[in-house]
Amino acid sequence: MKLAVLLVLATIACLILGFVFPVHQASTPGIVSGEALPGVGGTGNTPEAAVRSLLGDVQAHDWNQAYSLLANTNDVDKEAFIHDINGNYGSLRTFSSLEGSGTRVLNQSGDQALVRADMHWSTAVGPIYEVRELKVVQQGGNWKVVWPLEKQATVPPQVVPVNYLRWDVIYRGAQDDWGSQNVDSPQVRIVSMNAVQHGNTLVVVGEVVNEDTVPAFVDMNAILVGKNGQDLDQENSFDKIQHTLLPKQVSPYRIDFPGFNLSQIKSVRMDAKAMLVPASADPVIAVLDQHEQENVLGSKVLSGNLLNESGRTVNIAQVLATYYDSNGKVIWVSDGYVDRALLPQTPEPFAVDMPDNTVGKVQSYRVTVNHYIRQQS
Amino acid sequence: MNPTMEGVGTESCLVQGGSNTRLRVICALAAILAFSLTSFAAPAPSVQFDISHIGPRQMEEITGRNIPRDWGRAWQTMAIASDQNRPDLLGHYFTGFAQQKLSAAVAAQRKSGLRTRYIDHGHKLAAYFYSPDGGAIELHDTADLEIQVLDGNDLVHSERVTLHYVGLMTPAADHWEVRLLQSVPSF
Amino acid sequence: MQRFLPAACLAFCWIAALSLAAQDLQVPATVHAGSAFTIPTSGSGSATFYLIGPASRTKRQVQMGQEIQVKPQEVRDAGRYLAILRGGGASQSGSFYVLAATPASLSFLAHPSRIPVGQREGIIGVTFVFDKWHNLVRQPENVEFHLAVNGGPPISQTVRSRDGVAWLRMNSASKAGNAKFMATLRGIEEKRVIQQVAADPCHLQIKAERNAKGVLVETAPVRDCSGNPVSDGTVVTFTANGAGGLSTVDVPVKKDIAQAELKISGPATISVASGVVMGNEVKVGGQQ
Repeated sequence: MKLAVLLVLATIACLILGFVFPVHQASTPGIVSGEALPGVGGTGNTPEAAVRSLLGDVQAHDWNQAYSLLANTNDVDKEAFIHDINGNYGSLRTFSSLEGSGTRVLNQSGDQALVRADMHWSTAVGPIYEVRELKVVQQGGNWKVVWPLEKQATVPPQVVPVNYLRWDVIYRGAQDDWGSQNVDSPQVRIVSMNAVQHGNTLVVVGEVVNEDTVPAFVDMNAILVGKNGQDLDQENSFDKIQHTLLPKQVSPYRIDFPGFNLSQIKSVRMDAKAMLVPASADPVIAVLDQHEQENVLGSKVLSGNLLNESGRTVNIAQVLATYYDSNGKVIWVSDGYVDRALLPQTPEPFAVDMPDNTVGKVQSYRVTVNHYIRQQS
Repeated sequence: MNPTMEGVGTESCLVQGGSNTRLRVICALAAILAFSLTSFAAPAPSVQFDISHIGPRQMEEITGRNIPRDWGRAWQTMAIASDQNRPDLLGHYFTGFAQQKLSAAVAAQRKSGLRTRYIDHGHKLAAYFYSPDGGAIELHDTADLEIQVLDGNDLVHSERVTLHYVGLMTPAADHWEVRLLQSVPSF
Repeated sequence: MQRFLPAACLAFCWIAALSLAAQDLQVPATVHAGSAFTIPTSGSGSATFYLIGPASRTKRQVQMGQEIQVKPQEVRDAGRYLAILRGGGASQSGSFYVLAATPASLSFLAHPSRIPVGQREGIIGVTFVFDKWHNLVRQPENVEFHLAVNGGPPISQTVRSRDGVAWLRMNSASKAGNAKFMATLRGIEEKRVIQQVAADPCHLQIKAERNAKGVLVETAPVRDCSGNPVSDGTVVTFTANGAGGLSTVDVPVKKDIAQAELKISGPATISVASGVVMGNEVKVGGQQ
């Protein structure tokens, strides 16, 4: 009995301490930084608390509560706010959830403040990190967030003729006699291969080209061969390759071997598998204004805009960036998913990491785009 | 074979006392049955593979290991199918007309109450033709066989012979299959 | 007398053994597939006749002293056959080979199904010769291979089969198009189609023109070094290097030409590539 009373008292004490002394910038998964219970308690006593409260409501999908914390509800439609943060058009964001976040006050003066929110989204293709700098203002004694809604360009109604090529495949039947005509698998060729050390991971990067006149579904495997000629490990490129290659299209690839070192291996055996698949030359996605820059966290990124030149929405786009040195050798391949859908004729920004060990060595780069379109029923 | 059968039988056979004679007999029969099941599983025959006259395509290392392996397994399968009258066993290592003909043979002998037993004493397999695209290989096999024909449980005929076979193998998903198995008077 | 007794006994035993030994059935050494024949027997009474072949294993009752009729359908499959006769307490056997009949079909493997033009010995044809019961015909036969492309002279070559197989390599033509690849033997014909496609693009040339929306870039008709237009769908990459950064777009060729509108405003240098082939560069000025 005494123990039970003691435990209850201790719990209440912890709760009080948690509200009075919030923890700064702790990105505990599942719990918004500085709050014991998401969405509870801080309704805007400080700029940071306001942002944390908002993010807590976002995590809990409590859109009404989250919307009520905005300062500019006259300018920001509730639906638009929800779509902005939760995604729409079947984008990657619609398959994501806010896993955790961190906040930091960048500056504060009078009744205005700027708070940086680092958001960690858990998605179907892995974690995505988003950083937003949110202006927070004091209204009627409470701090509220000015939501920076970018007006999404609306695509004017129009008819977009699609007359790009499409390939279908008719295979030989199971009943067909041995020796009957069949269609051969596409010819692909590995153009380059380079093994580099990245921390404690051995990474194999390079490019592969579809030399054939038909589309190919390409997969890359690599086997590390040890000094004694034994096979040490085998890995696949997974999604770090543009799988569907149209004729004469070139894709980068990257294969990671965690825990291996260059000094352990004698050679790398590459295996490119290609399969004949139905494909379409549509959509064409242009990659515009590619340039190196630093993001708000001071890391080097390659950024630009993607432009979907077709009439169909591209639900999920993945950017693959190939970096070359002054000899034209592939020294790194990085990738990143765009968590917003690519609407027709509408530019969408992207940014992919440039690892520290490539900065200074990169002479040129090339960006290609993988796309995933939800099938129409 | 279930190894625990012998283990159980052995333990039971350690029971003391003369009153367990019946139990000992059962143990002995179980052991004999287990042993006979093991020997009846017909291990894959030995296959010596010669690629010295192969052409026009040169044989890859992995193919050079897999061909004799799968040829041996095909013969093993055929021996079991022929002895136990089970044409369903022929599907994995035989395909096309080879499978059809062997299945027809096994079905025919089953209908007549016959069985054919192949006791395989090994093969000398030579690669004769390997197509340039790697899609087919013709093999010449000299097989040392003991062939027994049984009508029910009666041994009708027994012989030990050296036979010549022309075989054709084509690649399946993860192994090679026999597409043709034709006995010939000589190469 | 006593000295000769062991020898006499031995001789008697040998004679007895010889007489008791399974007398071989009189069967022909070889028979062609589907050919009936007879096996003579002696004695009297009924007996069981077994015929064990590659695809048939049968038994039936026969009368000793009468010829055993082996029907054509019993010897359709090439291979070694065992004929066994059991009756009157004795067993006789004989083995014979059934050889393939005259050729009736070809299994024709033609590779590849698509090949760039001008490839030396790139086309492979392999045929296996079979009779009507799918037995491999080991007898040497002359197999003719023909390769015909529309508008081009046909190429023919005769190859003698060995152990049932005939094969050859041929060059692909310099002109793109569907080629008919045929194997023929004694009126038996097997046809395949080999798509001869354009090789890698050659002399990629672009022109660029600024318009209100950006820069319209267009290739000259994309052809290989033999003048064959590349297949529709071949990807051409346009790259524009300007003040705003690098812009690229992968565009498929349509009716020999690839075209794209690059949304760039300032001056830029535009280049083109397809696969591993690079084209020319064009400089465009800024928007007016």
